[in-house]
Amino acid sequence: MNFKHILNEIEKTDPEVYEKLSGRREVLKGFGSKVALAALPFAIGSMFKKAYGQTTDAVIDALNLALEFEYLEYTYYRQGNNTGGLIPTTDLPGFKAIEAQEKAHINFLITTITAMGGIPFTPKNYSHPTTVAPYVPAAYDFEMNSTYTPFSDYRTFLILAQVFEDTGVHALQGQIPTLLGNNEVLTQAFQIMEVEARHAAFVRTIRRLAPIDAPETPTPWITNNIPPTIPFQDYYVGEDRVEHDGVISLYSENPNYPSGTSPQVAATAAFDEPYDKAKVLSLIAPFKVI
Amino acid sequence: MKQNDIAGADTGKVVNTSRRRFIQLAGGVAGAGLFFASCRRTPASDTYVGEGDVALLNYLYILKQVTAAFYTQAVATDYIGISASEVELQINLRDQEIVHREYFKSILGKNAVKTITMDLSAVVFADKADFLKHATELEDLSVAAYNGVIQLLADKEKIITIAKMASVDARHANYVRDTLTHNSTGDGLVIDSNGLNNVISPPSGMSMLDKYIETRFDITKLPTL
Repeated sequence: MNFKHILNEIEKTDPEVYEKLSGRREVLKGFGSKVALAALPFAIGSMFKKAYGQTTDAVIDALNLALEFEYLEYTYYRQGNNTGGLIPTTDLPGFKAIEAQEKAHINFLITTITAMGGIPFTPKNYSHPTTVAPYVPAAYDFEMNSTYTPFSDYRTFLILAQVFEDTGVHALQGQIPTLLGNNEVLTQAFQIMEVEARHAAFVRTIRRLAPIDAPETPTPWITNNIPPTIPFQDYYVGEDRVEHDGVISLYSENPNYPSGTSPQVAATAAFDEPYDKAKVLSLIAPFKVI
Repeated sequence: MKQNDIAGADTGKVVNTSRRRFIQLAGGVAGAGLFFASCRRTPASDTYVGEGDVALLNYLYILKQVTAAFYTQAVATDYIGISASEVELQINLRDQEIVHREYFKSILGKNAVKTITMDLSAVVFADKADFLKHATELEDLSVAAYNGVIQLLADKEKIITIAKMASVDARHANYVRDTLTHNSTGDGLVIDSNGLNNVISPPSGMSMLDKYIETRFDITKLPTL
């Protein structure tokens, strides 16, 4: 059996085979010397399943998690933007742009998931819309069992918007490892995540400045693990991490780090952290109808 | 994984850059006089960024050196009419860009390009609008640059940490953009009709940095989309 020949044959029909198997290059090198010939077909089978079979399902699953977030956000902004007197006219154009971008994300993700042979997520109480707009207010309880009043109090509207956007970023961060084998979807996930992060910064900047002047003085980025209000602490757990990929971003580790202010604060804010699917779903569960 | 493993098989070529290029230029010339003439024709500022992953990571490292220097200058010479909030946040921006810069320097190890010489004379730091215009340009470039690099990187594991910086730079981008023009989140060519952030190929990104850097780079082996 000529393993290299097999790969060459696959490359003829799928030029990206080496890319899809990347990260397993060391394994490939090991073949022939370390793996007994009899075990080779099993080892190869497992490797290709990771690169192709299993990953397709996992990729669709990752995209569906993103889609679930987009439905929630789009419905939230559309409801807010259409509640007279809630959002000041000075900020309304920004929120309308964000609403349009969330809607674009929904349509884009539905198209992508369908093209991959997956079934796009639909929110609870979703009925096939007669209009194009995927607006599903019946799926959500944004007042969280009468705890919050986002559609009658702008400050509260902003707090929930910040939490949703930051959690959306955490959710996509958490899916990046799953997407490493699919360059196209990986890039799209980055592109969506970055737009969500722009939204988060938009909301946070409004909360920072007058007339809101939120008490925790939010920054456009997540400084330490500071939540907008104490009940949302769990939405920022782990955001104060300072070690990444073996590099510790602290002055004590590297004198080139900024020492003038607070290097630890910069180290935490310079990276957004990943949350896994279970964590993310538990965070948005209180805002969904049962 | 050790920090220097990123270079993989490319390490030797990059470390021996100047010698390799020197030999290429001198190639086949027998006479000593001509040999030294060739040597002098090598531009002193033509810094080789490497190839493959090393080149891609050096590109991001160069970008971060520019943004860190840019905000360092901004903090040293506040624009006229700056608010207390803006003072604090531009210090944040400087510090976070330094953290990113040092991250790339660290993972590149001995393959990192040597410290480069900036030329920020294109920026009027005293003028709020001019400073923010350049800040928006640089932050938008940073975000789009990641989107190009991740498609080309062979070491996929590096992408996990790059993602963590990409969304933070998107936060930076929206902050400076919004400080210049409120509600401008979706303006321009940065977000397309699918709601996706734009992508810039590494060589295009390098050329956009030209006006901020005096050092010239040899990017002949920098991967492109």
